[in-house]
Amino acid sequence: MNNSEYKQKALDKSSSGRTIEMVNKSLSRRYKAERRFRRYGQVAIIISLGFLCLLFISIISKGYPAFYQTFIQIDVFLDPDVLPKDKLSTANYPGLIKKSLSSEFPEVELRREKKQLYGMVSIGAYYQIRKMVMKNRDMIGTTQTVWVPVDDDIDMLAKGHIDRNTPELERRVKDIQLAWFDRWDKAGKIKKRFNTTFFTSGDSREPEMSGIWGAMAGSLYVLVVTLLLSFPIGVAAAVYLEEFASKSRWVDLIEVNINNLAAVPSIVFGLLGLAIFINFFGLPRSAPLVGGLVLTLMTLPIIIIASRAALQSVPPSIRQAALGVGASKMQTVFHHVFPLALPGILTGTIIGISRALGETAPLLMIGMVAFIVDVPGSFTDPSTVLPVQIYLWADSPERAFVERTSAAILVLLALLIATNFLAVLLRNRFERRW
Amino acid sequence: METNESTGQKGFQTVGETKVENPRMTCRDVNVYYGDKHAIKHVGIDIGRNQVIAMIGPSGCGKSTFIRCLNRMNDTIPRCRVTGEILLDDTNIYDRDIDVVPLRAQVGMVFQKPNPFPKSIYDNVAYGPRIHGLAQNKAELDEYVETSLKRAGLWEEVKDRLDHSGTSLSGGQQQRLCIARTIAVSPEVILMDEPCSALDPIATAKIEGLIDELRTHYTIVIVTHSMQQAARVSQRTAYFHMGDLVEVGITDKVFTNPRHKLTEDYITGRFG
Amino acid sequence: MIRIIVVLAAAFTTFTFWTCTQSESRNYVSIVGSSTVYPFAAVVAEQFGRTTRFRTPILESTGSGGGIKLFCSGVGLEHPDIANASRRIKKSEVDRCRENGVNEIIEVKIGYDGIVLASSRKNPPMSISRKDIFLALAKEIPDLSGAEKLIANPHKTWKDVNSSLPDTKIEVLGPPPTSGTRDAFVELAMEGGAKTFSWIKDLKKKDKSRYKAICHTIREDGAFIEAGENDNLIIQKLEANPDAVGIFGFSFLEQNTDKIQGSSVDGFEPNFGSIAKGDYPVSRPLFMYVKKSHVGVIPGIKNYIEEFTSDKAWGEDGYLADKGMIPMPKEEREKYYNDARYLVPIEIK
Ligand SMILES: Nc1ncnc2c1ncn2[C@@H]1O[C@H](COP(=O)(O)OP(=O)(O)O)[C@@H](O)[C@H]1O
Ligand SMILES: [Mg+2]
Repeated sequence: MNNSEYKQKALDKSSSGRTIEMVNKSLSRRYKAERRFRRYGQVAIIISLGFLCLLFISIISKGYPAFYQTFIQIDVFLDPDVLPKDKLSTANYPGLIKKSLSSEFPEVELRREKKQLYGMVSIGAYYQIRKMVMKNRDMIGTTQTVWVPVDDDIDMLAKGHIDRNTPELERRVKDIQLAWFDRWDKAGKIKKRFNTTFFTSGDSREPEMSGIWGAMAGSLYVLVVTLLLSFPIGVAAAVYLEEFASKSRWVDLIEVNINNLAAVPSIVFGLLGLAIFINFFGLPRSAPLVGGLVLTLMTLPIIIIASRAALQSVPPSIRQAALGVGASKMQTVFHHVFPLALPGILTGTIIGISRALGETAPLLMIGMVAFIVDVPGSFTDPSTVLPVQIYLWADSPERAFVERTSAAILVLLALLIATNFLAVLLRNRFERRW
Repeated sequence: METNESTGQKGFQTVGETKVENPRMTCRDVNVYYGDKHAIKHVGIDIGRNQVIAMIGPSGCGKSTFIRCLNRMNDTIPRCRVTGEILLDDTNIYDRDIDVVPLRAQVGMVFQKPNPFPKSIYDNVAYGPRIHGLAQNKAELDEYVETSLKRAGLWEEVKDRLDHSGTSLSGGQQQRLCIARTIAVSPEVILMDEPCSALDPIATAKIEGLIDELRTHYTIVIVTHSMQQAARVSQRTAYFHMGDLVEVGITDKVFTNPRHKLTEDYITGRFG
Repeated sequence: MIRIIVVLAAAFTTFTFWTCTQSESRNYVSIVGSSTVYPFAAVVAEQFGRTTRFRTPILESTGSGGGIKLFCSGVGLEHPDIANASRRIKKSEVDRCRENGVNEIIEVKIGYDGIVLASSRKNPPMSISRKDIFLALAKEIPDLSGAEKLIANPHKTWKDVNSSLPDTKIEVLGPPPTSGTRDAFVELAMEGGAKTFSWIKDLKKKDKSRYKAICHTIREDGAFIEAGENDNLIIQKLEANPDAVGIFGFSFLEQNTDKIQGSSVDGFEPNFGSIAKGDYPVSRPLFMYVKKSHVGVIPGIKNYIEEFTSDKAWGEDGYLADKGMIPMPKEEREKYYNDARYLVPIEIK
């Protein structure tokens, strides 16, 4: 007995000595593994950051020139004969500009060359003069010096996108136009200005007259509808399911369905929207109201799932504390649980809304993928949204739309960053620790 | 004394004095089931006025389950079912037409882990009076907060920082804040489920002293896993074992002279 | 906070439904249809909206088939007024229209579109025939020995197809099957080439579905690459790879003549003249279909058509030509101008 006890002790001793030895031996290997893992992580982050940078650099460098537009200075004689006081709105404004251009280059006589000359100025110039005259009738009879936008091809030339060395036949800007341009340029009559049109007007087939304001207003209307419907409905559903509904097979069934809905391709919601809101309820096509309703269907599951997760993560001790002092279920939820879950709910909502902001597929079905010039002024005006605008421009043949596409992407990104920033702000405002 | 623990059939005879004169609460044949699990078996016990009664027993024996019956906190647990009757001043709190909201104002509860709301100290204490509409104006509410904090022995420590978050206090202070929050609604009975198990000895001593003082105003039911604590703060002690109430009696007697074998095993440390 | 949101949402919902019940009329023209016609129709719509008192029409690019389907779904405000198509309306579609109460449809041919095979300017231009196109791109081609049976397309380079063509790998970037351009290309170029084999041509009467399968199935072994709907992308790829050939609408060639050149097909170069005359074989007419019953109900339909059919729009020097549409000859223009003007509905038997 004594003997075995002694043996046991010796074993303990030697084994504890061996343990330390083995621990020490494996130590360097373990540290190495840890260092290796850290390096993998760093490399992964560098790679993803690299791609992000690449994306941003390419989009910004492509899109940034679209924020500037080339203008040309011309002297327009506001001929009272062309501008009868009673027919100002339908007067021949193109004629005024053409006359002004002809008087600047009197040597141009050939019909083809004249056309090329007139084509250097954007047709937006006509509308600009029209607006100017209608606003200030006293100008009629005088000569005004105005800066008007140039045609998109000339704009591309000014921005260096057109190679002067290619043979004339293969160039969108002809030799004679190059000569005129250089003459104007030398006289200081060509200038690049901030492109306000881009931020204030709707779509156009003329790149120099196109803007994203129409699409942006559409996006905002759609988002307002989506937010106002999906947030209260989604949160109410989540609170009910999580806090009030007794666990039954029905609740399980609903839960499975909601999770499935979140994975449904968005175009399906578009088809649903077409069938319900347009064909059944007779709401107008292309309207932000319908777009918002469709995107609500799409964002609801996301918000419900995120809200339920947020509610679940509120510690049960808080609920018990409130119930323990005699708060009703409702008071417990709305005084304590909901405020604590709010940051998570907001995050989920923002994720849902950001996704909605970038969606085009479901809108195709309800007619929001459309060419719309007028800026929408209400929830039922036909309109399109930013990602659709990007898609439409990316598909346009004119070279000048390439930079506008990137510029629109920039605006969309800015909007997304702004919403995310707002989410962070809200979250910090509501965030409490327990 | 025909013990039939495994089936939980009626027949286990509680030893000691389950009844007292003029009780505040009376439990008769209380059973609790979690689904199929029979967690509390035919428990009958009186809770005397302005007394501290301690519930002891090995963990998992059903102390928390039982104490939660007293203010119907078990209602919030899905699949939990309670039968039998529990009278609070002659009304059965399990009657159909009893509203749990006023009941919980009468029977307050302090939990094992301090759980102040993530709000200011003031708001923590004022929450109960606010939702029950006890105070007519701000001054009255201030009054409630001050007396409650004073009774909970916390006033001196926090009176200059009532606007600080309740969660910024130390563990012991948090627990006293929770007690203040409970007594702010002037309950008749305070239930405490292992209130000191998460605290250090000094904080524990403070709470124990506090419990002794509170006894003059309130009836207190305390669950504890520490027999010393039970001996120090309680007048009566109840010993639970696997859902059965084994023995009830005057604390001193239970500890010095246990009548049941199981109680004896437990307090002499041979069990649990 | 919750209360505010709920009240806001409720108020908003009632408000919108109220406005919807109020807005009984539509005061803009709704146009749907072909993505090929889309850029042309968009210019007209914009011009129309800016220079008249009417609102700018709304234009949806749905593809010819999708557009006609919407167009034929009924009479009423929720249905479009005009459908654009890069092919003539089919008998089955007219029947469908009739079923839904759309009885009178005015057909206006608006011009032509050419489909070009273009490549980078870095290599000399190619000159190929429709037969070459078929032999280069079909999944199965007639046996090289001349027997009347099919073999899997063995051609790797253009020289394999026709010894006068360059010795470069066959690498064609084209639109996916959902695109109207692809339909037209398959029908005009591939089928045109397949028909040069008389036994295949005879099949058309005997076994139509087999005939279609032979003519319309493009090889899937990597020689033909589906480059997505975005034609700008194809142009970028052509620039990067001078040996590749791209398939797209003439207007894209028009806008990018500094980077790419069109191959001549059956001896004709793709340009305004050859397409308008009908010499260039891979070209198709473009149409606009107008719902007669909507004229006079929706403001501006008639004026929009007038703008479209004016010489300053669809004429030889019109702004549509600037955008790459190929104008019709003068007589044809006159015919359709009159049809449109007097709202003459089509008769399709
Ligand atoms: N929510 C619950 N659901 C199911 N069983 C429970 C639940 N809470 C407690 N129990 C069971 O009931 C018995 C008593 O638990 P409890 O009252 O917490 O014991 P104690 O507080 O004495 O340690 C235990 O066996 C436990 O597993
Ligand atoms: Mg317990």
